[in-house]
Amino acid sequence: MIREEFKALCNKKVVLLDGATGTELQKRGMPAGICPEKWVAAHPEALIDIQSQYLSAGSDIIYTCTFGANRQKLAEFGLRGEVCELNAQLARISRQAAGGKALVAGDIGSTGLLVEPFGSLPFEEAVAIYKEQVAGLLQGGVDLFVIETMIDIQEARAALIAVKESCDLPVMVTMTFDEDGRTLTGTDPVTALITLQSLGADAVGCNCSTGPDLMADFIAKMKPYAKVPLVAKPNAGLPKLVEGRTVFDMSAETFGGFAARLIEAGADLIGGCCGTAPEYIKELKLRTAGIGRKEWYPLPFSAVTSARKTVFVGADLPVTVVGERINPTGKKALQAELAEGKLGEVRRLALAQIEAGASILDVNVGMGGIDEQAMMVKAISVLSAQVETPLCIDSASPEVIEAALRIYPGRALINSISAETGKMKKLLPIAAKYGAMFVLLPLGDEGIPSTAEGRIPLIQRVIDEAELLGFTVQDIVIDGLVMTVSAEQEAAMETLQVVEWASCHGLNSILGLSNVSFGLPERIWVNGAFLAMAVAKGLTLAIVNPSAEVLMHLKLASDVLTGRDQNSNEYIRYFTSKKNPVEKQETKSTEMGITHQIHRAVVTGQTEGVAELIEKALTEGFAPQTIVHEYLIPAINYVGELFEKKQYFLPQLIQSAETMKAAFEHLEPYLQKETATANDAPTIVLATVKGDIHDIGKNIVGLMLRNHGFIVCDLGKDVDAEVIVENAIQTGAVLVGLSALMTTTMIEMKKVIELARAKGLTCKFIIGGAAVDQAFADAIGADGYAADAHYAVKLAKQLSGLK
Amino acid sequence: MDQSSKLNYLANIPADPDKKLILLRLGYRSNITVLSEADQSRLDEGIRLGFSLCHNQGVWIRMEIVRRSREGIELENGLFIKSSNLARLLEHSDQMVIMAATVGPEVTDRIATEVAQGKASLGVVLDAVASEVADACLDYMVLFINKMLRKEGRLLTKHRYSPGYGDLPLEYQKDLFALLQLDKLGVAITERCLLVPEKSVIAISGIERIG
Repeated sequence: MIREEFKALCNKKVVLLDGATGTELQKRGMPAGICPEKWVAAHPEALIDIQSQYLSAGSDIIYTCTFGANRQKLAEFGLRGEVCELNAQLARISRQAAGGKALVAGDIGSTGLLVEPFGSLPFEEAVAIYKEQVAGLLQGGVDLFVIETMIDIQEARAALIAVKESCDLPVMVTMTFDEDGRTLTGTDPVTALITLQSLGADAVGCNCSTGPDLMADFIAKMKPYAKVPLVAKPNAGLPKLVEGRTVFDMSAETFGGFAARLIEAGADLIGGCCGTAPEYIKELKLRTAGIGRKEWYPLPFSAVTSARKTVFVGADLPVTVVGERINPTGKKALQAELAEGKLGEVRRLALAQIEAGASILDVNVGMGGIDEQAMMVKAISVLSAQVETPLCIDSASPEVIEAALRIYPGRALINSISAETGKMKKLLPIAAKYGAMFVLLPLGDEGIPSTAEGRIPLIQRVIDEAELLGFTVQDIVIDGLVMTVSAEQEAAMETLQVVEWASCHGLNSILGLSNVSFGLPERIWVNGAFLAMAVAKGLTLAIVNPSAEVLMHLKLASDVLTGRDQNSNEYIRYFTSKKNPVEKQETKSTEMGITHQIHRAVVTGQTEGVAELIEKALTEGFAPQTIVHEYLIPAINYVGELFEKKQYFLPQLIQSAETMKAAFEHLEPYLQKETATANDAPTIVLATVKGDIHDIGKNIVGLMLRNHGFIVCDLGKDVDAEVIVENAIQTGAVLVGLSALMTTTMIEMKKVIELARAKGLTCKFIIGGAAVDQAFADAIGADGYAADAHYAVKLAKQLSGLK
Repeated sequence: MDQSSKLNYLANIPADPDKKLILLRLGYRSNITVLSEADQSRLDEGIRLGFSLCHNQGVWIRMEIVRRSREGIELENGLFIKSSNLARLLEHSDQMVIMAATVGPEVTDRIATEVAQGKASLGVVLDAVASEVADACLDYMVLFINKMLRKEGRLLTKHRYSPGYGDLPLEYQKDLFALLQLDKLGVAITERCLLVPEKSVIAISGIERIG
């Protein structure tokens, strides 16, 4: 069957599929716990009987019994080597059953593993597993393919690519959506539809998981965006567990009663899944007899998707912000990370841009000295799993773009395809194969024409080529090409003319704004004005740094003024949710006295500049001891009070402690000169006990104690009792602080205290950590328990007699 | 039977912890704690950095409960887990799920570096983020597994239990670590049964019939 014939069939009538096979096989004696495919191969008459009944009931298409006949699933039964043979044999059995009266769809199910980036199965391995199965089904002579019960969009993509790369037969893809309207890995029906139809599925839809009523809702959601026929193959209601068996209790009659609703919602092919049987299909046939297929005229739309979200773009929608910051040009931190093969900075920039309002993220990792393709694939994998925002794949290399498109679990935007003959010829088929949207760059073999008049023929040339490959104007985004006005002042208006032309021709347009102001001072205003002007001309996407508030605010305002932000909803929502500006400090710091400034620096945790403040105080004649005792210590005590009242939380307490530490470090040489204070300070030995590796809490206690005048001997983590006691003796410590987080390690504390006492040590013990409490402290003979770092300081002062 | 074929892996878990829980962990109390603009932006940066350093992975296995008593339960692989609390949780379950999640070593390494370099204030924020992300990974896994179980008319118990809580000794982490082959996720276990990297968690849930 060719794809056009399949399309014609679906245009002619509501196509009836089959119902469940597994339960029917059990009725015919298939035992539980065995490989159904192998059993059917040995008992072909059972399947022929079932499928003949489906044919009699009215099925136009029957599925081969090969749902689990992939290498991964067959391996569970020791049949790894029989994939091709088994699939071919089972396809032949179904063809025999169909007898030319129905089409036979080669059935492809899940491997049971999650595919990268959501799971452990490498994407290409998944494609290879499916190609092997497809080859067998082709040998068996199937008419078309069905990829069904998919819970993960990436696995559905892998299977679809496997089919498309193996043959040109039609292929249907149905996914399983739960009651919350999402697949297991979070894909919603519209996103699944757009992703799969872009990738070349000939029909898309849902099967399993829900009953027909809920499935009708999913179909209705998909329909406005469906360029291909939709499939609905619901279960006979919701599953129930009865005496250890999962059963479905919707009757055939009730099930059939939903046929009209499914068709009304937009289903073009209907059938049954778990819990259904030939009589259910018969009911569907009866109930659809008088109902013709509903005619639909879908509106054109432009959309990109991630695995979990669809973003629509267009002239009647607010301008879509494409975050530009994932690009190593001029970003040292990002360059350094990419050079090491790390992606932390990429992820941080992604999150920051999404928070600031980016709807699509441009991803460019091109820089010297790295394998761009490998890095791009890694970045796309991680981002596509961790953020919902669709991605724009930005590279100068066709190979990099193809590798990224292949593994991207959605419909991406390509940045960009130019009119340079070589590149265009290479990239357009790649974009078409993976169904991506693309940015069209009006740059030809002779370079960039300086006028709109020169750019438009180039654009037209690419569009013509693209349309031959099946693209529509909605799939294309015209880059107006922003040139620098300081070099050529007419450039901006030429760019705007391109935007206007695109808008008049129903094309999307995009601008990378910042180039316009290159070389000028206060560039943000030029960029902002340019953005507003471009929005007025019909711009649909803008590549910007979404953290630039001026631009984002102008975009919101422009959306209101052009009527694209309906009822100004977005504008109002944004500005009413924004926090009120923080009240200005009554007194400027420079107007305060130096000691007041020091106090304030500690209280607000302003570490930067505190050393200069101390130096200034010393120059003004304040004695080091006075600075410590009259300004620093009271300031940190005040912070402690705020912490006790919960007005400060832990990061603020520590931030202040860090400022205090910086101040101390600057004062230290002066203090040593002035007195022998340090010698009088009490010493405390700190350690995380043997077997335990958690030490952040203990480290914070150390930092705080030092600020309060203790000499801290920090022994680290996983420290032997003998070492702790030995150090306590050697340092003459008056206190020992022990930390442990877990129940298995806190007992070690007791050992330390017992050993100390056995050696005649009289120092006091403070304990802390998540698993310990005062009762435990009492039980093991510790002198105190500190619930947090602040209390640890208080307790240490109290036990050591330090004021 | 070798249990490894029953292991299910999840990579890049899109854990999305409630920011309020991160703040709560850091001692923030709404309407009481006051953050200046500088505090707020430091906190936001820290949280974002924390998320970007977490590499979330998970694994789970479904096991039959073959024997039970008030004192504990026995699994199909012969492992007896002695804990009356756990036995109570699994009262209506004939199967259970053992799961684990880790956020990977990068965030814990960074916490150590920041603290060592005197930036403990950032360290504690990263620490709180990593802890909440690890928990959120398990929450995600519970949702994920429930979606699969619902098709059978089953669901996980509302609560999950972990070694180290109540009367379930931390020592069981060794058996569960081996069963889940956590070394394949880059996780190690110390002699005292602590998981390394630190922000790695193991939990147990029962599988019950819906209704």
